[in-house]
Amino acid sequence: MKITDACVVPYPVGDSSVSRLALEARSLGFDSIVALDAQVQSVCGIDVIPGIYVSGLPAKDVQNRAKKCRGTGTVVSVQAGDNGFIRTVANTRGVHILRGIYAADKHAFDHVTAKIAADNNTAIDIDLAPVIFGRGHQRQKAIHRYLDVMVLERRFEFPLTISTSARSVLGMRAVREMTGLCSLFGMDETGVQAALAGVARVTAPEENPVRVI
Amino acid sequence: MAVRPPTLREKRRYVLARIDPEGVQVDPKDLYYAMYEAVVSLFGDLVAAAMQPSVIGIESGCALFRCRRGTERELMIALSTLGACREVPVALRILAVSGTLESLRERIAAFQEKWHEVPVPAADQLSGSDGVSPLPPGPESPAADGAVSTGTEYQFGGAPVGIVTRRGHKADVIEKGFKNTRRLYLTTEDLEILHATTIPDGI
Repeated sequence: MKITDACVVPYPVGDSSVSRLALEARSLGFDSIVALDAQVQSVCGIDVIPGIYVSGLPAKDVQNRAKKCRGTGTVVSVQAGDNGFIRTVANTRGVHILRGIYAADKHAFDHVTAKIAADNNTAIDIDLAPVIFGRGHQRQKAIHRYLDVMVLERRFEFPLTISTSARSVLGMRAVREMTGLCSLFGMDETGVQAALAGVARVTAPEENPVRVI
Repeated sequence: MAVRPPTLREKRRYVLARIDPEGVQVDPKDLYYAMYEAVVSLFGDLVAAAMQPSVIGIESGCALFRCRRGTERELMIALSTLGACREVPVALRILAVSGTLESLRERIAAFQEKWHEVPVPAADQLSGSDGVSPLPPGPESPAADGAVSTGTEYQFGGAPVGIVTRRGHKADVIEKGFKNTRRLYLTTEDLEILHATTIPDGI
């Protein structure tokens, strides 16, 4: 089972290089990281998985981007929008992760989208950045959203991923710290381990739904 | 006031945390305010009052915290939400929790020994990084402030940089320039030697 930080942002957007982020991830207990706009590589035993983050685009463009990335091993993450957008994107083949649920509309992620995400093996990302660096209303809102996501996850069992969205090695957190932070919104240790393995789950090759005997 | 007998004293727990980035100077008082703000903003005044968190001191780049027994988990969660100390970006990496300060000081000594003999990964393990010129991994060379003068000039991303600290393959650098200088966290593989292709005089 791979323990993966689902999103880190290396240089030049961030202040840390991919290899330094990978070294830090190793010391923090991870097996792999998803680095935005990086190349596939292995640094000191840590797998660096390339990822793209699509935000601010209409659903049609998201579908085109996902189609281009299909089969390249790139993890496609999409910024959550309104309810209709999330339903369309969660239904799109090639989209792996829906991110930014904490910033989306209150009713954007409901039981219907949860069911669609579960059926299409699309993960919902728990971004810990607003919990770590947010204060006051921003953090309260994020924790409230994640509490709601956890309720739906227990009912529909869609995949979850956990990310720090770290732009620096200082923004990364250890697996144990993530477990503590996730306990703030009712995620137990087993759930955290499953969520840390969520990237491997959503990027695993699809099995044929019809088994030929 | 008479000292209470041991059975009536409050039990305490001590938390040891490493301060990242290495070499950054943090005042214990500033760290206390940052820690207290993190605890209060996450758990509120009620838990902060029950926790009674405090900073014992900073020794060898590690911070020692104290709280009441049973609240150490909350303290550690709060410490993981600490991102800056007086607007200096820092991260606290929790190393150990103990019931006595003495055992934590032994841990600090043990960690120091471990850090000094940290094995340097083989150069081929770092292949594939975005660097070009491999630099022989040097010994630990922390500096409290400013860049370390090593005689060799380096660049990263086309801009000259100065090394602040280096341990194993990890190298913290600062961009050189008049403005927009920021601390970058790299590996030695990422650094290119400046003027590496220049043919020195005398050849």
